[in-house]
Amino acid sequence: MKAKYANFAKKATALVLVGAVLTGSVFARPKKAKNVKIGVLVSDVSGEEALGFRAYYEKYIASAYNVTFKYTEQLTNAEEEKSAIEKFAAQGCKAIISLSSSDRVTQLQTCSDYKLYYAIASGMLEDDQYEQYKNNPYFVGQIGPSMETEFQAGLEMGRYFAAKGVKSVSIYGAFIPNPMHVYRTAGVLIGLGATYGGTNDKNAVVGQLFGDSRVNVAKISSPKVAIKSYFQGFGETTTDELNAAIQAKPDAFLSVGMATTFFTSQLNAAGIEFSDIDSFTSGNGKAMKDGKLVYLAGKYSSSIGPIFAAVINAVNGNSIRDKGNAISLSQNYLVAKNYADFDKFYTSDSGSSPIFDKSKLDSVIGSNVSYEAFKSLVENN
Amino acid sequence: MNMNFYKRVLGTVVIPLVFLLVLLFICQINGRVMIANQVSFTNFVIYAAIIMITTIALSINLNSGRFDFSLGSIAVLSSVISSKISYALLGQSAASAFIMFILSMVIGGLLGFISGRLYNFLRIPPIITSLGVTLIYEGITYTITSGKYLMAEVQTASMSAFISNWVNIAVIVLVVLAVIIYIFNLSKFGAEYRALKNGQKVAVNTGIKEVPNAIWCYVICGILMGIVGFLNAGRNMTINGGALNFGSISIMFTAFLPMFIGGFIGRYSNEYIGYLLAGICMSLLNSTFAVFANEITASMQSIINALLLVVFLIYLNNEGKIVNLFTFRWLRRN
Repeated sequence: MKAKYANFAKKATALVLVGAVLTGSVFARPKKAKNVKIGVLVSDVSGEEALGFRAYYEKYIASAYNVTFKYTEQLTNAEEEKSAIEKFAAQGCKAIISLSSSDRVTQLQTCSDYKLYYAIASGMLEDDQYEQYKNNPYFVGQIGPSMETEFQAGLEMGRYFAAKGVKSVSIYGAFIPNPMHVYRTAGVLIGLGATYGGTNDKNAVVGQLFGDSRVNVAKISSPKVAIKSYFQGFGETTTDELNAAIQAKPDAFLSVGMATTFFTSQLNAAGIEFSDIDSFTSGNGKAMKDGKLVYLAGKYSSSIGPIFAAVINAVNGNSIRDKGNAISLSQNYLVAKNYADFDKFYTSDSGSSPIFDKSKLDSVIGSNVSYEAFKSLVENN
Repeated sequence: MNMNFYKRVLGTVVIPLVFLLVLLFICQINGRVMIANQVSFTNFVIYAAIIMITTIALSINLNSGRFDFSLGSIAVLSSVISSKISYALLGQSAASAFIMFILSMVIGGLLGFISGRLYNFLRIPPIITSLGVTLIYEGITYTITSGKYLMAEVQTASMSAFISNWVNIAVIVLVVLAVIIYIFNLSKFGAEYRALKNGQKVAVNTGIKEVPNAIWCYVICGILMGIVGFLNAGRNMTINGGALNFGSISIMFTAFLPMFIGGFIGRYSNEYIGYLLAGICMSLLNSTFAVFANEITASMQSIINALLLVVFLIYLNNEGKIVNLFTFRWLRRN
């Protein structure tokens, strides 16, 4: 009898010990962080800059943090943007990062309706729109070139070629009503020393470009640099329009966006120096090293890292606010005027070691991150 | 030469002549030149070829009641695959453009065959099948290109040399025209095609096999769109690999007006020569749009194209009344 009870006691003790170990290990195991889904709205799916941004998010950020990025196809209007946000909400996304600019206000309102956090990457609302919505708790913020920065980018480009002594240019771009292209074009015209509709005031020129819904070459007066031709868009007539621009034999071809995607080979073949506002990609590097690309204003692919950090903070309940308002920080363009500059920018933001790498982003992700610290990170890199 | 001959000649040339005279006049009064140089002329020839061949491809199936949305996606996918292969094998070699051209036709034919077999296998309306095929081919294109524009594969010296010589394009146009006229107007296949088009039940009852005829039509359309894909790649020096959700179907809609114009001209001469002349008309219009691009935006160009289509359709549907009106036949009757 005594042996029977002893045997039972041994088995019971063993069971209790095993149970304790198992229970302890369950409680000791760290809780697995839930994967956060973030929807990304895009209007450009093919350009080098867009692909660079996407590679940064999907290959670097997604592997470094427990997030999944869900991308849209090419969005071409406000209805598609709204519909995309609604789909993302149904798929369990917690936030939306926008790289599409058909109607950002509607995007923000839709996100608010579905209780999704909303942020703008590589762009900004118009100033009055920001003032109207900066208190919205679902508006995380906007980090990108401000309209003033876009204007300055165009201005510096125009001034560069004017100082170079070019006597004639062809201009490409200004996909009106895309505001960043309009501000860039206004900057290019003013930088070249031209007036538009009799004025070289930034706001007046921008207003006229929006009002005209195009660049009216007849309204350009340029005493020092002749504007040989202007065209925008990429449709059935573009080949002929580019031909006309090249046949006009300008000293330079100034583009406010996408020329390096579409026209590099033709401009190289024609021997015409050209410029663009794009990004630092291998293709552009080749054009600058071996071709006629002489001026490139660009962004780092990882420049959209900080806005991701702000978004993930908001999702985790650690929103960073600027005195209660959504973040609004401007990022400047970097300018390469030769291959050495280009290579410096290109290699410093490579795929596996981007400028905004995990260590930098971790310094502003978490609780108790101040707005000043966040701002300092963005502005010093 | 009897009056019938003159009527046939007039009927054939009246529309292209009107297009040419009106557009030249518009350019002249505005101090513009429609086709200013050799490069402009080459671009004109290329665009005319693209429109003609696309219209022929659209009409082959559409005239048999098979609406095919997948033409654009076949053009893009065939050019993507052929450019990748030719660039991988030959790089900057002088023969790479020619090899890409041949491959584009072969792959286009294969894609058309798959499309045709799917239509036959699923036995659902061809418009539905073609929508699905379009999405599949666009998806494959996106996967191969990662959504990027293909540039290096297309921007070769060989392609530049090939596409910058209008004679090469003219030869393509003439050969395509000759082959298509032979196949559809002179061969047994063409006779069976016409019989099926005009009365399918009767034709099948007489022993004509509908399925092989339909599938061969899809193959021929695929080959033609392979040529279009090659020409588009050469013209733009890029291929957009990122078009999804029917982004590729717009090329099909550019062929509607030329198809109706070609059909009208076909009453007086030959339908396929009509498509060539219609392609020339559309290319003249495109060249004029390019000259006025700063005044006529892309959206206005689309509206003008749509208006021309509507006006022409109104004319076709009321041709008798309009002819009576302008020849005062109604007055003589009264």
